[in-house]
Amino acid sequence: MALLCAMMLAACRGDKEAEKPKIAVVISTLNNPWFVVLAEAAAKNASDLGYEAKIFDSQNNPSTESDNFENLISSGFDAILFNPTDADGSIVNILKAKTAGIPVFCMDREVNADDAATCQILSDNYSGCVDVGIEFVKALNEKGTYVEILGLVGDNNTWARSGGFHSVVDKFPGLKMVAQQTADFDRNKAMEVLETVMQANPDIDAVFCGNDAMALGAYQALLSAGKAEKVKVFGFDGAGEVIEKIKEGKIVATGLQHPLVMAETAAKFADEFIKGRTVFPQRVPVEVNLINASNAAQF
Amino acid sequence: MNKNIKYGIGLVLLLFLAYNSVYFTDLDQMKSEDADTIDFNAKATQLYEGIIAENTATDLSTLKAALSTQSDSAFANFGNRLGIGESAYFMVNVAGKVLRINDGEILIQTDEGESIAVQTKFIFGNAIRDASGLVALTDYKTNADFNKLSEALNTIVREEKLPKAVQKIKVGDVIKVEGALKLTKGQPLNTQLEILPVLIEK
Repeated sequence: MALLCAMMLAACRGDKEAEKPKIAVVISTLNNPWFVVLAEAAAKNASDLGYEAKIFDSQNNPSTESDNFENLISSGFDAILFNPTDADGSIVNILKAKTAGIPVFCMDREVNADDAATCQILSDNYSGCVDVGIEFVKALNEKGTYVEILGLVGDNNTWARSGGFHSVVDKFPGLKMVAQQTADFDRNKAMEVLETVMQANPDIDAVFCGNDAMALGAYQALLSAGKAEKVKVFGFDGAGEVIEKIKEGKIVATGLQHPLVMAETAAKFADEFIKGRTVFPQRVPVEVNLINASNAAQF
Repeated sequence: MNKNIKYGIGLVLLLFLAYNSVYFTDLDQMKSEDADTIDFNAKATQLYEGIIAENTATDLSTLKAALSTQSDSAFANFGNRLGIGESAYFMVNVAGKVLRINDGEILIQTDEGESIAVQTKFIFGNAIRDASGLVALTDYKTNADFNKLSEALNTIVREEKLPKAVQKIKVGDVIKVEGALKLTKGQPLNTQLEILPVLIEK
C-alpha cells in the first residue's frame, strides 16, 4: 500500500514538473490578416520562451472578450498578451486579470487607463499619420477635396491616426474634407462606404483610410468607378499588397507598423514578469515608417 | 385600487428610475472636456522657453564627428527616442549662408560646404518635443495628451516664432539655426539633412 502511494505521489510530481507555464494571447479579431500576424507572432514568441501559448479570438466583441478573460483566469494562465477590442470597455477585463494576479501586456491597441495593464506596447500611430498627412498635402499640392474613412470608433488607434493626419492637413485651407465615415477597418465596408460617398461627391481628389485593408477597399471602389487614376489613396499598416500597389503607382503612401516587434516585446516582458521583474514602463511606443514611391522598393 | 391607476403609478415610477439611471453626453463634448483639464498652450509655452533657456543643442559638426566614430554612443548621448525604433531626434545648432528661400524651406550652406534644409512650413509631429529631451511620456496620462503638447508647441514655433524671423532673412545672409534633426541608425550622413527649427537668428 505504502509503495502504491509513493508511486502515485511521484507520478503527480512528474506531471506537475512536466506542466509548462501558460501564456494567453487574446486578440480583438482574427478576421483581419494584420491581427493574425500579431497573434501568431505573440504565440510563437511565447512558445520559443518555453511557455504553452493559446490564442483567443474576441471577434471584435467586448462580451466575447470578457468570456475569454473569465475562461483563461479560471484556467490558470500565467500572463496575457492582449489586443483589446475597446479602449474603455476592455479596462474591466484587464482589472479582473490584475485582481487574479495575472499580468496583462497590451499590444497595438491602447486602453484609456494607465493603472490597469502592466505595460502597453503600441504603434506610434499619431507620428506615423503626421508623416502620411505631410505626404498627402504635398501630393495634392495643398488643394482639393477628400474623404476620410475611419476604423472602429471605440479604438484609440482610429483617433490617434485621424488626429495625426488632421494635425497637418487641417492647417491647409485649400484641402476640404467632404465626408468622414467609419468602415470598422474592414475592406468590404470601406468599398461600400466610398461607393455611397461618391454618389454625392463624384469629384473627390483623395481618400485617406485608417488602415490598409480599407485603402484596398477604397481603391477597388475607385477602380470600379473608373476613377483609380485620378483619386489618390493613402493607407496605414504597411500591408504587402499595399506596398506592391505603391510600387505600381496605384496607392500613394502608407505607414509601416511593426507587429512582430510589438509581439516579441510583449512576450519578452511577460517572461521577465514571470521571472521576477516588477517595474515596466506603462507605454512603449513603436516607431512607424512612411512608405511611398521613393522607398517602397526597400520593403 | 383601480388596476389602471396601479399600472399608471408603476409606469411613472419605472420611467422615473430609468430617467435617473442613465444619462447621455455627446462624445465630442466629453472628449473636449477631458482635454480641457490641461492647458496645453501654457505647457507648450513653458516647454519652448525651456528649450531656448536650457540650450542643450549640440553643434551639428560635433554630432556628425561622433556619429562617424561611435554611432551607438552618439545616439545614446545626444539623441532621444521614446520607445522602440531605429531613429532618434537630436537638438542641433548649425550656421550657414542662405542659398535659397523657397516655399517654406530655407537652404543654407555651412562653412564645411554642406547644404542643410531648414523647414519652416511642415513643422508637425513630435520631432521638436522629443529632440528637446525635456518632457517624458510618463508626464502625461495618455498618448493623446502627450501628442497635444506637440501640437501646441508646433503651433507656437510655426505660427508665432518663425514667421517673424523668416521675414528678415534674404539670400546671402548668414544665419544661425537651432532645431530638431531626425536621424536613423545607419543613415548616410552625406545626404542633405533637414532641420525643424525652434530658433533662427541672423
